[in-house]
Formats: sequence, structure tokens, C-alpha cells
Amino acid sequence: MNAAGLRVRARVLATTRAFFATRGYLEVPTPVLVPSAAMEEHLFPLRAEGGLLRTSPEFALKRAVAAGLGRIYEIGPCFRGREDGPWHGTEFLMLEWYRVGAGLRALIDETRELVQAVEQTLGVPAQPWREVTVRELFAEVCGVDLATASASDLSPDDESWDEAFFRRWVTDIEPSLTGAVVVTEWPASQAALAQVRTDGAWPTAQRFEVYYRGVELANAFFELLDSSEQRARFMSANAARLAAGEPPHPVDEDFVQAVGRMPVTAGIALGLDRLVAAVAGWEGIDRGRVH
Amino acid sequence: MYQTSDIRKGLKIERDDAPWTITYFQFVKPGKGCAFTRTKQKNLLTGRVVDITYKTGEKIAPADISEHTMQYLYNDGELYHFMNTENFEQVGIPGEVLGKDVTDFLLEEAECQVLFYKGRPVNADLPNFVDLKITYCEPGVKGNTAQGTSKPATLETGAEVQVPLFINEGETIRIDTRTGDYVGRSSE
Repeated sequence: MNAAGLRVRARVLATTRAFFATRGYLEVPTPVLVPSAAMEEHLFPLRAEGGLLRTSPEFALKRAVAAGLGRIYEIGPCFRGREDGPWHGTEFLMLEWYRVGAGLRALIDETRELVQAVEQTLGVPAQPWREVTVRELFAEVCGVDLATASASDLSPDDESWDEAFFRRWVTDIEPSLTGAVVVTEWPASQAALAQVRTDGAWPTAQRFEVYYRGVELANAFFELLDSSEQRARFMSANAARLAAGEPPHPVDEDFVQAVGRMPVTAGIALGLDRLVAAVAGWEGIDRGRVH
Repeated sequence: MYQTSDIRKGLKIERDDAPWTITYFQFVKPGKGCAFTRTKQKNLLTGRVVDITYKTGEKIAPADISEHTMQYLYNDGELYHFMNTENFEQVGIPGEVLGKDVTDFLLEEAECQVLFYKGRPVNADLPNFVDLKITYCEPGVKGNTAQGTSKPATLETGAEVQVPLFINEGETIRIDTRTGDYVGRSSE
């Protein structure tokens, strides 16, 4: 165990809570033990007696938004099976916040200000910020136009377009990212719980991710507000899971209904262990955690 | 076949008709995507290092590689002959397959780890340190212990290395075979 590392994390936690307090955000702790832990194909929730361990606080926080809370955040443990490595832990600390009435622009600015506050707290030089679309990154790094590329154009080893996309992402794009990078306009097939836009050159999900010195820190959605579309995405992720021999996710009908009652909202989830480690310049998340 | 969860440093795999050893690996999973393992791997025949990414669930072929402890016997001018210390079988390996970094410090009776690919010897690992006698060097300069001053010395294997000025012909010195550097007088 690294005492200095734990002190660094404590300072980042204090900075984060102060940041949201001064902006009128309410801290809302929600249950860790839940009936439905995720809706995405590639998340593997852990089982516990009486339910599942949440993979993020998203379903509960959105019910709080639907109940009338306009600015909320939560910092708490989340659990994802089959994830273990220098930048992954089965258990990790997630920061998630929701802002009613906001779009992605406001959330990009707020995320940058939070990260800069943490840089200041830890006394490290501020990283330069850059904003780029997924399509621009693939053109720049791989020389491929995502709007027209087939799976085999992206990677000869993959049949699925999304898997080919992620193989190039992991192999070529991610290692090329320096400084702080906001990556916008993701493929519509990777929308998860975000709204999709079809009026551009190709259909894109209204979400962004934040990379900090090559480490994926955060994922934000311009939130989907359509219950039937939300249910359909649950079903299609579950169909993919069944085809891959994985158990389907239980559908959280309370959450699906709540999506239809939410006002226009932008929300973001940020890995706090990664924020601490990436800003502090560590080689992985271990130094800031108790073992 | 290996699974991606079997990937670790030193794992020997077969790819593109060649044996490779994993020198680095990292689990990585994009938040919205499937999991991968990034690797760096070294070609055991050429030494070339490449980056390869595996998707979780992909199967990886093991390399037909075996390693045997062998004693170096002699060089017949073309082949370096080794003997398996367990079953006494002998094998001759061309010098260019072993490489100069091996043949420079290879002395009779030295025990090496010889690597076989599909039954063919492809490489030999020397002990990290070997003791070799100096067969020729210029006389030493007494009292000169200044750092950074060295002179060439010829070893009994024929290789030339840099030694400090106080080392004399006929002395036995210890060499780090990974770097080819002088580390001191032999303690024996």
C-alpha cells in the first residue's frame, strides 16, 4: 500500500466535491446492490446475493433526474467483471454527474474545468486540450473514412464492424493520443444511452469521451429520452449477448419508464482512479488504491 | 491453442510461420467496446519486435519450441557442436545462426540453453557471466586507475573486448555476455 498515493487521491476527492458544491450540484448516493446492473453488450456485472453489483450508478441517477433533481452527482464504487490490468480494476471509483437543460458543449467545458482544478490541486502542468471527431481521428491516424469504410477496410481480422473499429482504436488511435483530447461524434452503433443524429454525413451518437495522456477518462451522453427506444436498445444488446453465449441483462423497467420522464439532460461518467493516476503521472491506478 | 488469458511474458507463440515470444502485454478495454490484449512480441529467428493486438476470445497457436541444456563441445570451422547433457545427443549449429554475440564468448564445456524450433536449433543462450582468459593485450600502465581509460584485449575465444589498463595478458576476466562488457577479474 502506498500512503503518499492515498493522500493524492484524497486531495482529488476533496477538490471534486468542492467543485460540484460550488456549482450547485447535489451529492446523491445510490444503491450498489441493484436488480439490473447494465445494458451494454460488453459489460459483465458481478452477482451478489439478492441482485447484481452496479457497473455504474446510471440507472439510479436517471431515476433521480426523472424525479425532479436538476444537478446531481455521485462518487462511489462500481464493479465490472473480466476487467483487470494496469488501468482496469474489477472494483473502481466512479464519478457520475447529470445536468438538466445542458447539451454536450456545457459538459465538455465543465469536464475541462474539473480536470484543470485537479491539475492545480496536484501542482502539475496543465495539459493542452483538443477537440476532434472520431471520423477526423481515423482519417488522420489510419487514413480511413469511417463514413464509408467496411469492417474489412478497417481490419481484415474482424467480421463485425464495431470489433474492427475497436481493434484499430486500441492498436492505432489510442496510443497516438497526447495531452487532453475530447473525442466527439461516435458511430451510431455505439450510442449506448445517447441520442443519435442522422442529419450529418453519417449517423453519429451524441456522446463524447475524454482521453488524458492516452488514458480513457470519461464518457458523456446527450441522454436518450425515449422509453421505447431505450427498451429496444436493451433488447438488441441482449440479443448480441445471447448470440455470444452470454446471459442477457435483466431489463430495469423502472429505469426504462424513467427515461421517458426525463427532461433534456447531459450526463457523464468519469473513472476517478484513472483521473488521479493519469493527472499524477502514474503508470496505472494501483498507487492510489488500498490493497 | 492458447486463450488471450494465457498471454504472459515469455509465452512462445506461432504466427506467420515463425516463432515469437511475448515481451510485453497489457489488458485494455474501451468503455463501450470489447476487450483486447495489446502485446509486443519478438521474432525468435530474426529478433524483430512487432505490436500485435488480440481480441479477447481469439485463439493463439503455441510455437513448436523446446529448450534443452547443452554443453558446447567444439567448432569444426563451420558448425558449432553441442551435446544434450541429458541424452547425450549432439547437434551442430552454424555460426551465423548463433550470432557473433554468442560465438564471441563461447568456450568449450560452457553450458547453454539451446532453443529448438520444429526440431531445428535456432538459438543458444549463454550464461549471463563467463570467465575468459586474455591471450593478448598491451602491458598495463601501473597506477593508472582513472575512469574511462581502457585498452583492447583479445580473449581465448578470439573476441576483442575493452578492459581497464591494469589488466594484464594471461589474466582471466569476467564478461557480462548480455552486453559484452568487462565486469571484473575472475574470482576463481
